[in-house]
Amino acid sequence: MRPDGTATLTFTGELDAISTPQAWSKLETEFAGSNVIRLEVDVRQLVCDSAGLALLYHLSVGGMTPGANVNLTGLSPELQHLLRSFSKEDFQALQEHEPTCSSFVEDVGAATWGWLRDLRQQVEFIGEVTVAIMKSLFRPRRMHWKEVFRVFDVAGVNALPVVSLLTFLVGMVIAFESAQPLEQLGAQVFVANLLGLVMSRELGPVMAAIMLAGRSGSAFAAELGTMKVNEELNALQTMGLSPVQFLVVQRVVAGILLTPVLTVFAMYAGLLGGIPVLLGLGFPLRMVLHQVQSGLHFGDLAEGISKSIVFGAIVASVSCLRGLQTGEGPRAVGESATRSVVSSILLIILADTIIASVTYALRK
Amino acid sequence: MNGDPHSLIEVRDLTIGYGDRRVLEGINFEVRRGEVFAILGVSGSGKSTLLKHLIGLYQPMRGDVLISGASIVHAEGDERLRILRKFGVLYQSGALFGSLTTVENVRLPLDEFTDLSEAAKDLIALSKLRLVGLESAATKLPADLSGGMQKRAGIARAIVMDPCLLFLDEPSAGLDPITSAGLDALIRELARGIGITFVIVTHELASIYAVADRVVVLDPKTRGIAAEGAPSWLRENASQPWVRQFLKREAA
Repeated sequence: MRPDGTATLTFTGELDAISTPQAWSKLETEFAGSNVIRLEVDVRQLVCDSAGLALLYHLSVGGMTPGANVNLTGLSPELQHLLRSFSKEDFQALQEHEPTCSSFVEDVGAATWGWLRDLRQQVEFIGEVTVAIMKSLFRPRRMHWKEVFRVFDVAGVNALPVVSLLTFLVGMVIAFESAQPLEQLGAQVFVANLLGLVMSRELGPVMAAIMLAGRSGSAFAAELGTMKVNEELNALQTMGLSPVQFLVVQRVVAGILLTPVLTVFAMYAGLLGGIPVLLGLGFPLRMVLHQVQSGLHFGDLAEGISKSIVFGAIVASVSCLRGLQTGEGPRAVGESATRSVVSSILLIILADTIIASVTYALRK
Repeated sequence: MNGDPHSLIEVRDLTIGYGDRRVLEGINFEVRRGEVFAILGVSGSGKSTLLKHLIGLYQPMRGDVLISGASIVHAEGDERLRILRKFGVLYQSGALFGSLTTVENVRLPLDEFTDLSEAAKDLIALSKLRLVGLESAATKLPADLSGGMQKRAGIARAIVMDPCLLFLDEPSAGLDPITSAGLDALIRELARGIGITFVIVTHELASIYAVADRVVVLDPKTRGIAAEGAPSWLRENASQPWVRQFLKREAA
């Protein structure tokens, strides 16, 4: 740097993505506070890539020497071509661009609106599915029974081991946990009655439905969602086929048929889980079975099974609805799968509460 | 190891396929530095499969692919990474990450592989976007871009680490003729302006005549190369009649 404010900068060697950050910060400290009016930059012996060019561009627009007259010499034509693509305006536009941030009130409004719209879609969907199922029942030949059996196999038969294991363990835990408090009342033998009631009325159908939602509901949503992303649903519609008639009805019918089966397995597995615990507490097997028999009525089983039919319809139809609602792109498919599981479980518990309250009132 | 200093890619005795099915058998060709090279063939002749072997996504059954003299088939670890840095790839759909904006997509390799400052990374990414004519769409999400813009953004991301070689898989698929011609102009500009070598897989004859210096035509019957040379020369002089018909767009 000379006293008249002219500085000369000569680059040699290589400026690439690895060496540029160092050179950048070194030059920044070098030029800080200096009062350069003219800057001569010599790059004749420089090999550089885009990173180096970014530094040269930053220098050439006076990014380090504000107000100075900067002159670049010795840049090859290819690099000149590339240097022309750098632009301060683009950079400023990007820096000034702020992601739109919505206010709290807006968020609340949007969420409420979305929720109401979803509710409306659900009601419409229930109607559409009911009509479609009725149509299929009157004309059973139009139903794709092969698809119904495939879903029954994949979502039902293949789920039996895991549902049985799960409820077996739950039954065991319930027997353990209730044995202690009931012992204080001297009523330990009623663990068997309790287990029978809980499994047949509540946990059998609920556990089976929750497993169905997690295992198969998410799969329905992902499958239909991917079909939507791939425009397969559009193809169906332009062929004059309704996606509900063609895809949803099969799954809902299969869901209604398979959940009671799963539920019966869940009930028995739960009871079986309790028996080793009761045997361990010193009750003979005959006594345990007698207790279960005397405590359990046909009405309890019927309640559990009818609940499971409702749950099956809920899980299958809500999952299909979430699949059909899928937006665009791979992320939307994941979102649909999540939403299907959350909505299914929420609605299962809600329906369970309603049915339990009604039957309680009826029994009185 | 490298016989010819002018060749950037050398394909030696390459046999590729899936399972027991061979798609191409014992093919040889080379791509020279600075040229626009096209791989041509009817649907199902193995163009895209060949491309996936050239960029090292699949392992060949036999043979070797050398990029700047280094084998991408046998390289592992850091050596493989060094070869991968030499080229960029534009996939058929653009393959932009849907959750990132255009400029973030382009910046991604810089974020992952360099220690440059935020401002420098933005400057570089924006310059690449300007190079492909997308500077005004920097903050848009890929879903808001048209098909042609997505491909341009894909090219910007592919060239952000300054590769000397760019592979394009069906760049004109799904584009209208005008957008497709714009993309051809961009390829020519990048090839002549900054000296990038291109390998293009396509069946779009119009863009081949517009951009390609040399082509190889794959033959699905012999599972080999039917012809190799400048496209307009092959159109008149290819030894096999079906290649001439194919290049003239006549039904065989």
